[in-house]
Amino acid sequence: MRVGLQEELDQLEASLQEEGELVRRALRGALNALDQHDEELADEVIAFDDEVDRCYFGIETNIQSLLARQAPAAQDLRLVLAILHNNLHLERMADYCVTIAKLTKLVHDAPQDPTLTEALEDMGTRAEEMIQTALDSFANRDVATAESLVDMDELIDGANRRVVHQILSLSADPDLREWGLRMLLVSRCLERIGDHAVDIGEQTAFLVSGQFREFTDASH
Amino acid sequence: MATRAPSEQTKEEATRGMVESREACIQVTDLNLYYGSFLAVEGVSMSIQRNQATALIGASGCGKSTFLRSLNRMHELVTGAHADGSILLENEDIYAPNIDPVSVRRRIGMVFQAPNPFPTMSIYDNVAAGLKLNSRRMKKSELDQVVERSLRGANLWEEVKNRLNKSGSGLSGGQQQRLCIARAIAVEPEVLLMDEPASALDPISTLAIEDLVQELKQEYTIVIVTHNMQQASRASDITGFFNIEAAGQPGRLVEMGPTEKIFTNPDNKATEDYVSGRFG
Repeated sequence: MRVGLQEELDQLEASLQEEGELVRRALRGALNALDQHDEELADEVIAFDDEVDRCYFGIETNIQSLLARQAPAAQDLRLVLAILHNNLHLERMADYCVTIAKLTKLVHDAPQDPTLTEALEDMGTRAEEMIQTALDSFANRDVATAESLVDMDELIDGANRRVVHQILSLSADPDLREWGLRMLLVSRCLERIGDHAVDIGEQTAFLVSGQFREFTDASH
Repeated sequence: MATRAPSEQTKEEATRGMVESREACIQVTDLNLYYGSFLAVEGVSMSIQRNQATALIGASGCGKSTFLRSLNRMHELVTGAHADGSILLENEDIYAPNIDPVSVRRRIGMVFQAPNPFPTMSIYDNVAAGLKLNSRRMKKSELDQVVERSLRGANLWEEVKNRLNKSGSGLSGGQQQRLCIARAIAVEPEVLLMDEPASALDPISTLAIEDLVQELKQEYTIVIVTHNMQQASRASDITGFFNIEAAGQPGRLVEMGPTEKIFTNPDNKATEDYVSGRFG
């Protein structure tokens, strides 16, 4: 039994889950700042990204070291590769949270449409659930749960399309036009967070089966 | 993420197709190997593909070296050792009663764990030794050509071309092993068996041998036994994993397939545990 390797793999998995928790906190902060027009909280979310980046670089460095020293094979190798991918997916999600926070700052004193704000909050809540589901599926090696992310993603995609229609209907109102355009980007950020959660689910399936496959064909 | 066109193959599919499309150079069927009444290796069946490097891995005592030695009938040199089952080299049974074991060993050469050049012979004579023992008489100019070609084939020519008449034992360990490879290929075998060929060498010499395996397989079929799993994963196309269930039990071939598959996603749990370094 390779005790040293197993301990390092366990530590990497724990760090990934920790990073996931940081991303969920960043997303919740970004959604609250948006909902409450809270510029100060938006600044905190932006600064908090350094925490996620520290975690990201820590995992990267540890993987580089582990690959050089331990030469993992088979499932150990797949686990390391999957963590490498998931690390990047989580870091990207955190960047989207920063973008949402920056957009929030740009429009914090602009007039808003409460219906649209509510729709974005719903999308954000779904994105939070998807992050948790993706990380749980990975921790539990649960392919069925990972595949359920596809259905969750369709809901977020549908919500994004509805938000786009709502924003288009706002475009005639000059007071709401700029805010609407910013919110278009917020909606896109939330939709992309959902996509990254699905990608983490695909890594769960790769880890378990050894075969990489996309859950959905993006070309259709 | 980009999606794959239906006509495209994954690397693994391509490798699998390549393995299946090649013809077997050696075909082993239901091979049992004995030392006296002790069954050391049981029920091995495998195809060894032409112009591929096949690595045999497994813990000490699993029978992989015994199996390797059976491929050129060196196993039977141990008193009481015998075999049943069949080994076909290019569809010819090498254990048939009318087959001379020496002729088998000329067609299937062997390189051993520790470099073993003839200590009193020059570099030149070491390479020519097999030819002098096995072949018709050759003219000096013809022999010169074979020696040079063999030393070039073993990536040693440039290092020794100005001291061919010096003793082979004056070379470094890595050079001596390449000299032994030159000696083995001088008789133009069809298959080259290598039993832990780099285990006594430093890392640089080890990589030189591994690079050499990649070149040699263009001309020969290579079978290499190694304890070094990194070496198996670097140097071979196909890997076979041998295992014993318990001490005193016979060794068996557990799994064989493209090296990439064996080291990334093997089918068998014991293979997975072994390549992950979790036992053995």
